[in-house]
Amino acid sequence: MIVFNYAFAEAIASLRRSGRSALISIGTIAIAFITLGGFLLISVNVQDVLDRWLEAAEISVYLQDTAADGDRVAVEQFLRARPEVAAVEFVSKEHALQRFRTDFPELADVTGSLSQNPFPSALEVRLRAGDDSTISAETLAKDVAEKSGVADVQFDRTWLARLLEVVSSARLAGALVAGILMLGAAFTVGAVVRLSLYARRDELEIMALVGAPFSYIRGPFVFEGLLLGGIGAAVALVVVAVLYYFAGQYQPVRFLGYGEMALMLTAGIVVGAVAGTLASRAAHR
Amino acid sequence: MIETIGVSKAYGREEYALQDLTLKVEKGEFVFLTGPSGAGKSTLLRLLLLQERPTSGQVVVGDRDLSTLTPNEIQAYRRTVGFVFQDFKLIPTKTVFENVAFVLRVLGQPVEQQRRRTYQVLKWVGLQHRHNAYPLELSGGEQQRVAIARALVNEPHIMLADEPTGNLDPDLSIEIMNLFREINAGGTTVLVATHDRELIKWVGRRVIPLDHGRIPGSSPAPSSMEPLL
Repeated sequence: MIVFNYAFAEAIASLRRSGRSALISIGTIAIAFITLGGFLLISVNVQDVLDRWLEAAEISVYLQDTAADGDRVAVEQFLRARPEVAAVEFVSKEHALQRFRTDFPELADVTGSLSQNPFPSALEVRLRAGDDSTISAETLAKDVAEKSGVADVQFDRTWLARLLEVVSSARLAGALVAGILMLGAAFTVGAVVRLSLYARRDELEIMALVGAPFSYIRGPFVFEGLLLGGIGAAVALVVVAVLYYFAGQYQPVRFLGYGEMALMLTAGIVVGAVAGTLASRAAHR
Repeated sequence: MIETIGVSKAYGREEYALQDLTLKVEKGEFVFLTGPSGAGKSTLLRLLLLQERPTSGQVVVGDRDLSTLTPNEIQAYRRTVGFVFQDFKLIPTKTVFENVAFVLRVLGQPVEQQRRRTYQVLKWVGLQHRHNAYPLELSGGEQQRVAIARALVNEPHIMLADEPTGNLDPDLSIEIMNLFREINAGGTTVLVATHDRELIKWVGRRVIPLDHGRIPGSSPAPSSMEPLL
């Protein structure tokens, strides 16, 4: 415990001494983490939208007018038995017409002049959310199209799947950019820690010669890196929160969850501590 | 006991600071290492403080072969050794008290013990009244006394001093040597590297002369103990 107190106190004192270089380091880390945080913010909100769309996504299985009740029941049973299916609802021809009249009242008169109901009866299938179910849902759509009594199948998820692919690629690119920026931030932390190491070289020489344990020699520099990283990530969180506040005025979005915030802070602390640890190796050479 | 067995230290191919040096210093002894510049005095002290490793040979202190120590064992060994340099090596941004207490602080000793022991050694070297001064506000003799207090504060078994009076006038040199004699009287083994023959004569202890990294021959302890002045 004494060594932690010592290392922490020395790290704080060193950051105060470093002044501008510490601020530059914190700024660099903050920029890296603002990128990460902004990307996380966009990512979680896009994911929310996609989840909602996926939740609502359906396969519409249109039945032939000539389909027997037995065929319909068979198709319905086939659908209900599949694990990716959340619910199946039968919409009769009359119900479909009624729905059209309700949804498009201005066209209601047109339907009145028709000699027969043009809407087919259908089974509307709601799928379970989740990326994995998309592929099996495609198979399901193909399978059900071959069933007796089925006229046509419309699958809403195809374009969503493509959108998911685009989002995944964007997410990967974002993570890559954030990773590169974090690497840059780690180098900056390392440079700042090395500067303070150089400033304290007389003390370090004495410490080494009097037999100070390595935890005392290196500890302050590890803590310094850790603090730089942690403070940088915290500053980034504040900036992201401000951005969120402004973005929220134009578009309903949600802020990062506790998990994502903890991830950012932890990443900052870890990046800083690792950079500090590596830089501190020079302390007892 | 300190023993070197066939120790050589080379810098480059042919430049030997020490060559096949074999010597023994008994526990509690006070020994001078003497010789001209480049004789190998400082190199020997650096080997004893493990600032450097010998090119060949063995350095044994007590029951420890220094060449076999791990980094953590080196630090543990150094806690038993006090050192004083010609240039004092004090931290200019710390007060006299902080310079001395610093050793105990980085060894993780409790604050109260740091305070008590630091005042004790500062009193012993006669500097308790200057505990708030910074090194650059002190005279050379005072700075060296602070360095001695720092070397003593952790109660070392061995005291190494490299030209401790090199920057001091004769009066102050005697003052410093008196402190070393007192330290030695307490049972600490003392090795002082100096080329000040007058001072060696005055203190009157065993002398190990070095020349080009070798011992030309051990000299007997002088009998005179008269002060120089």
